[in-house]
Amino acid sequence: MTNVTNEYEGYKLESIEILKKFGAKTWSKIKIENQMGISEGIILPRNKYAPDGMVEIKLKNGYNIGIPLDSTTKIEVISQEPKMEIKFDPITPAPNKNLPNLVLMGTGGTISSRLDYVTGGVIPAFQPAELFAAVPELADVCNLETEVVYQIFSENMKPKYWLDLAQSITKKVNNGVDGVIVAHGTDTLSHTASALSFLLKDLQTPVVCVGSQRSSDRPSSDAAMNLIHAASIAGKSDIAEVVVAMLGSSDHDYGFIHRGTRVRKMHSSARHAFRSIGTPPLGMIRESQISMFTTDYHKRPSPTVETYAAKKIEEKVGLIYAYPGMPHDLLDFFIDKNYKGLVIAGTGLGHIPYDLYPSLERAQEAKIPIVMTVQTLWGYTGMDVYENGREIQSYGVIPGQNMLPEVALTKLAWILGNYSNDQEIRTLISTNVAGEITKGEPINGYQIFQGVESHLVPEKHKTKSPKKKKK
Amino acid sequence: MNDLNYDELGLRIGIEIHQQLASQQKLFCHCPNQLQGTRAPDFEVLRKQRPVLGEEGKFDKGMLVEFLKKGSVVYEGYYDSTCTYELDETPPFSCNEECIDIVLEIAHLLHMNIVREMHVCRKNYVDGSVPGGFQRTMELGQNGHLLLKSGKEIGIENIFLEEDAARRSKTEGKTSYFRIDRLGIPLTEITTTPDIHDPYEAKEAAYRIGLLLRSTNKVKRVLGSTRQDINISIKHGERIEIKGVQKLDWIPALVDFECHRQLKLIEIKNILTKGSAKIAQLVNKPVDLTSLFQDTDCKFVKAGIKKGLKFTGMKIAGFKNIFGTEVFPNIRFGTEVAGKVKVLTGLKGLIHSDEDLVGKYQFSEAHIVETRKLLSIGEHDLFVLLLAKGQALETAIDVIIGRTKAAFKGVPEETRQAQEDGTHIFLRELGGEKRLYPDTDSPAIILSEERIERIKTVVGPYPWEVIDAYSKKHSIAPEIVEDLIMRGNLTLYDKLITILPDNPTLVIRTITDMVKVLHRDKKNTEQLKEHHFVVLITGVKNKEVAKEAMEPILEIWTRHPSLTLVKAKEQAGITSFDLSQLDDIVQGIIEKNLDLIKARGRGAMGPLMGDLMKAVGRGSIDGKILSSKLNQALAPHLPAKSVNKKKNKEKKDNKSPKSPKNGGKN
Repeated sequence: MTNVTNEYEGYKLESIEILKKFGAKTWSKIKIENQMGISEGIILPRNKYAPDGMVEIKLKNGYNIGIPLDSTTKIEVISQEPKMEIKFDPITPAPNKNLPNLVLMGTGGTISSRLDYVTGGVIPAFQPAELFAAVPELADVCNLETEVVYQIFSENMKPKYWLDLAQSITKKVNNGVDGVIVAHGTDTLSHTASALSFLLKDLQTPVVCVGSQRSSDRPSSDAAMNLIHAASIAGKSDIAEVVVAMLGSSDHDYGFIHRGTRVRKMHSSARHAFRSIGTPPLGMIRESQISMFTTDYHKRPSPTVETYAAKKIEEKVGLIYAYPGMPHDLLDFFIDKNYKGLVIAGTGLGHIPYDLYPSLERAQEAKIPIVMTVQTLWGYTGMDVYENGREIQSYGVIPGQNMLPEVALTKLAWILGNYSNDQEIRTLISTNVAGEITKGEPINGYQIFQGVESHLVPEKHKTKSPKKKKK
Repeated sequence: MNDLNYDELGLRIGIEIHQQLASQQKLFCHCPNQLQGTRAPDFEVLRKQRPVLGEEGKFDKGMLVEFLKKGSVVYEGYYDSTCTYELDETPPFSCNEECIDIVLEIAHLLHMNIVREMHVCRKNYVDGSVPGGFQRTMELGQNGHLLLKSGKEIGIENIFLEEDAARRSKTEGKTSYFRIDRLGIPLTEITTTPDIHDPYEAKEAAYRIGLLLRSTNKVKRVLGSTRQDINISIKHGERIEIKGVQKLDWIPALVDFECHRQLKLIEIKNILTKGSAKIAQLVNKPVDLTSLFQDTDCKFVKAGIKKGLKFTGMKIAGFKNIFGTEVFPNIRFGTEVAGKVKVLTGLKGLIHSDEDLVGKYQFSEAHIVETRKLLSIGEHDLFVLLLAKGQALETAIDVIIGRTKAAFKGVPEETRQAQEDGTHIFLRELGGEKRLYPDTDSPAIILSEERIERIKTVVGPYPWEVIDAYSKKHSIAPEIVEDLIMRGNLTLYDKLITILPDNPTLVIRTITDMVKVLHRDKKNTEQLKEHHFVVLITGVKNKEVAKEAMEPILEIWTRHPSLTLVKAKEQAGITSFDLSQLDDIVQGIIEKNLDLIKARGRGAMGPLMGDLMKAVGRGSIDGKILSSKLNQALAPHLPAKSVNKKKNKEKKDNKSPKSPKNGGKN
């Protein structure tokens, strides 16, 4: 996203040469003629990955089309139009004493971005006035201050950013806000939620991480609903944990409140992509009504205590996914590059191919803690069940129990950044700190409905309708 | 009302034809391009849609209007034939190539310039008919033309390829239900330039485009697969878009209605601008009259107040007699305003002082005098009364002010909905180009020179050329060929006529009339495929099937399409018959009935035929052969003169089938 005015934004050499010849540039209103006929429209900036030799125009009827530029092209510039930009009427509601004071920390992502209606590009800004203009209902739920912490796609988050974010949140919380909303891209929303769960200690207020799967430029966006849900949870709930609030179903109806260490994005695009794994969500919200499914969560402390953020984080931690035929080089790489810790998403109960065992031994010698998790996501490691599991353990690999692989990664980053004693590190990894390891998996912690259940009821169990007797 | 001189009016009509394509799959996902009819849906999903900020950072006008009507939307879908794409849960798959080729073919037929790089755009819809809130659409061609029967050439402005919206299945309170089987079905939209100056010409142009589309055999033909909108304007008027023109026959009435309406609205504008009324005097200053009217004799107002509604009055300065002015017989300006209020707020309507307040509503004179006083109604002012509360009331007031202000400009640009009686009502503000945004989910689609040229080679002749050629070659009425094209039966006809080259009449009767009869009898004629007709006509040719047996056999196939001809004949109760025995049987019947023949002479033919058909089995031999045999055998037993009727009868048999009605109406 560059602010430099580029007269040929996105166009390549061949196109620029022809446009220049006729004095045309982006936002010129032109009449263009070639073998295919005559068209009239305004030159738009072009996607920089699109092929050369075309000019993209917005026709009077609103459609965009691309027209070839070649030696036969004739262009007549009619006028130079102003750059089409989104302007909006900012709304700054007066503070309402009866509403909770919340802070919204923006990190980027779909929820804090909007479509550039002209070029189709994504605009990452989301200022409070703009937010209120788009979601005026927020003003009924809270007083909101916003802070743009990052403007990045969430795949570009880094452990260091998690730490910065935790520290910013701590400041706000200790300054007396009633709750925190973290607006985040959904790709790694759960990574950040779990990292914050470890990095923040003695939290006084809810920290609600929220994203959207459909950008707010679409009428069907989930952004407004998720934001309103997040604001209600941050302002009203008694939860003093890091949670994720996202739609619970494909319906624009209720949202789920997920624990930051048990949640995972399970669909690349659906609104209800976020699911609690191995345990039901903590609660739900429907039309600002919060219902908790459990009492087993941290409540807002009374009297308030000071919230702390961890001082450091270890960035040299890795996560690898086991697969058949996996070479040992992959593991060796982390050892050779002096990584401080590693998570393996193992097959089944927590296995990796035999070929990697010598490398495990090397890691053990190098005192690199390795946490084994399961790529099945549901269920626990069971590394005593088979002989190979026991052998893997003999090289010092720590069973991660039912910690999700990404959660084990953020936990390792936190532990290795703040603890140095080997034994302490091993103990912490195996101990539940923020709900990341549960004592057991309730039977409804693993449920995947696919709409075929009604066919699965055995015939004999189906209620028989009384037979009509014909006379 | 035929007092309109279209030329003097400066009438300009443009038409938009929306036609579903008959591709295998939908436009942006791999779901079948198939409606599920009345089949119950497998699941429902609830959604709430919001307007989004437009280019000006303001809510788009058209979308805002829809949002004012806000409610929830429920989408009904099927596990086996809809996917997460239709529900806006998965980004689009790549655009269906078959659909692009079909539209390219149509574009060639219309002599269009082909767009070399199509950009998928979003057209926003917040009426709920698209789960994503926008339709994906792209422009494929521009600047074409079409030759009308009269020899006039009209311009074809654009051709688009886009997705159809979901179909509304029901509305319950503020919840709209949409079935998503129709969503994503590929459509082509063809728009003409507004250089049609007469409604009959508009009708012909629409029909001709329809015929052209169907002649490709690549578009759907079922009811609802073609829809048209018309754009109308006159001198000093504005463009009005009329949606939902279900029948081409509606066009003249709709156009005439609009001409009258625009003329009157222009007249009202002239009265307003010349009179004492001022736009600035139209202000939002409602007065609460609830307590004044709580004991009124007007029953519905009294009941409404009791239910907690407010009775609100507002002054419309300078509008006396304007609301009462008819823009069309029985449709007053007040009706226009009320109609808009109704659509946008759900209120039943409004009361205004150009109406007979005492007679029609039973308001007391005292109340009216007091109302005039409270609203400070002057000599030229009008007042409006509304029974409503909350958001609906506020919106209604805004709408009334907006509409009365617009009266100073004459005709406001609107999208209107066609009604069966030839009128049309307000539907929404004209959205237009403001509703179009680039689709960030789809890459641009390049149409290569090779592809454009390749499609050119498959483009068939024009249907009017085909009609001409066929009617000459096969000596059949042009209307019949046209009907074959409209119904998509021309290819089948081509195939069958090679089997039975001497009898086009029978071939046509088989594939049109017989199928129509079966369809009317609620038989599943969808089951009848090309091979059935080929087998049947071959059977006729080889004299294995009598003409009388054709329909019964087809009927069997509608129920048991996999049966062979022999089995179908059996099922239809048609037995095979050895022709060599025929003479003996005829002779036997005559001998048995000599008394009858003596008594009734030629009149015995009927009963004898009955006996004969029974004896050989109905439909196993052509009735004509039977009657001729019987005639021959009967002749020696009759007085000589009565034999020549036969000739007449044959003549009658060879009469060409009636031209079907101008079928395939959209």
